[in-house]
Amino acid sequence: MLAVFFDGIVGGLQLGVLAVGLSLLYGLGGVLNLAHGALAVSAAIVASLAMDAGWPAVPAAVVGVLVAAAIGLGLDQTIMRPVYRLRGESRVLLSLLLTLGAAFAIDGLLGWRYPFGGLSLRIGGGPVTILGVRMRSGSLLASAIAITAIGALTWLLRRTRTGRAVRSVIQDEVGAQLVGINPGRVRTLIFTLSAALAGLVAITQSMTAPVSVSSGFSLTILALIVTVVGGLGSAPGALLAGLLLGIVNALSSFYIGTYITAIILLAAAALTILVRPAGLLGRAD
Amino acid sequence: MPGAGIGSGMSRVVVGDRSLGHRSVLSAYLPVAAVAVLLGFVPVVIGDSRTYMGLAITALTFGAYACGFNVIFGSTGQLFLCLGALAGVGGYGSALLADRADLPFLVTIPMAAAIAAVVGGVFSWISVRRSLGVIFTGIVTLTFSLGFGNLLLGQRDLTGGETGLLIAASQDTFLRDLVPAYYVFLGMLIGYLLLFRWLQRSHFGWAFRALRDDEMTAELAGIDVARFRVWAGLIGSAMLGLVGAIHAHHNGFINPTTFEFGRVDVRTLVILAFGGIGTLMGPVIGTVSFAVVDELIRDLRQLRIAVEGGILIVLFLGFRGGVGPAVVSLYHRFRARTGRTGS
Repeated sequence: MLAVFFDGIVGGLQLGVLAVGLSLLYGLGGVLNLAHGALAVSAAIVASLAMDAGWPAVPAAVVGVLVAAAIGLGLDQTIMRPVYRLRGESRVLLSLLLTLGAAFAIDGLLGWRYPFGGLSLRIGGGPVTILGVRMRSGSLLASAIAITAIGALTWLLRRTRTGRAVRSVIQDEVGAQLVGINPGRVRTLIFTLSAALAGLVAITQSMTAPVSVSSGFSLTILALIVTVVGGLGSAPGALLAGLLLGIVNALSSFYIGTYITAIILLAAAALTILVRPAGLLGRAD
Repeated sequence: MPGAGIGSGMSRVVVGDRSLGHRSVLSAYLPVAAVAVLLGFVPVVIGDSRTYMGLAITALTFGAYACGFNVIFGSTGQLFLCLGALAGVGGYGSALLADRADLPFLVTIPMAAAIAAVVGGVFSWISVRRSLGVIFTGIVTLTFSLGFGNLLLGQRDLTGGETGLLIAASQDTFLRDLVPAYYVFLGMLIGYLLLFRWLQRSHFGWAFRALRDDEMTAELAGIDVARFRVWAGLIGSAMLGLVGAIHAHHNGFINPTTFEFGRVDVRTLVILAFGGIGTLMGPVIGTVSFAVVDELIRDLRQLRIAVEGGILIVLFLGFRGGVGPAVVSLYHRFRARTGRTGS
């Protein structure tokens, strides 16, 4: 029981990191990025290619994350430009359709070029015992990286000028503009950062289970579920919901079964939307 | 689709009404008749080729999917991202009712379409009731897509899991032959086009146009927006379920990938966006062009998903009204200019 619970926390931390970028992006610009999972998968594929070419794991992973960030930056500078020119519902709609197109373009290209591509990192060292539970070192390293990423993100958002700019745009875009913040640049930053975080999750996830070239779509859906449950636009909400759903996921896959678990998670998102559309920590407006 | 102010929205309602309302019955339905005649000759030309007939039937299937989506999204702007799942409700529903409950398969087809209608209608009703925006409707229906897929995989005893189902009930019937099946699908497509035109010309169409252009104004004018949305969801989902059911019996075999999101939804979206969302001929123009493109890139089969994604991006960046209408308006502008210089 405790072991399953711990596994849930390990998975939950990564779900949180996966979803937090998506959530911030929605808070900032009212857009949803359905290419989130595709960006994560590109990082995994690039890292695996670099390792096949003889690179050590760490630089390979870093290059993977950087490539994901670069693709994110590219998307922001190209297809997201016309999206931000629209307002309200049309903006959301166009962002959904364009990023869906981007997701399929990226997934399709990767699937065509590397049909059997995937990343599976083996972390050395034996299991470590925590509270009487033997944990794989891969899980621990993945969690450590996720916690570090969350810490760095919190520091960025809470302690730096950039973070204040991000939070002010989320609160009030016009107000932020009036005090001299450029919302476009803040959005570009967060889009790139969210792509990098997606890439990072693909790397950490491959330490416990392989990430394959076809995982993109399900990663996007997972991130969406967590984002919705946590509250669209809320970074702490995404992290909390990630942890919560990670634990639910682990317990229910262990005791009930994987297919039903997927349905439970989806039902959680659907229920949240119906009962409390603002999510756990979202602003109800 | 792009946000319009109240003023421009109202003027567009009037324009739309004039262009349709004053037209005679004959000229309103003429395009549908032309499509029926043109596509009716296709088997005469390519009837001997199994490959080309297969492609033609696929094209008609997607044209019909696009018609259903056109009612839901094109008319009332509800972004249903579960087209494949609704078709799957029809397909699996009909197959299971026929093979497990031993009902005649022709009876199970409308039954399955009715089940799909109820499912889609519930989504519509919920999204109207909770006044969910595009984003939440999209997410709820997208999660349904994935949930349905998982349900099919998980309920192995009933659905055969990922190995799928062989449908016995419709074996050795006309639906399995290529040419009769072609005419069944063509009949369905023509029926859908007639239904769409009829809806456009009825009170429904008037209300649909008004609420697409400006919901607030429409509501103020006394249109029961909620009711029309739910009706659109119901009718469109029934259409999707019917296509799914007939497709299942024609194929004789279904598995979760038959109705996968990546297979059905994206392609239908591309087809409708290419032909023109909310237009009568959009599904036909889209599916015919797409069939041609698909044949041209046959050697790049594995790249198809990437190409579809790319097309989706280009379409929504460049031709938000659809390529068909864009060409028509270009033609009108050209004619207007030459007309002016002539007089």
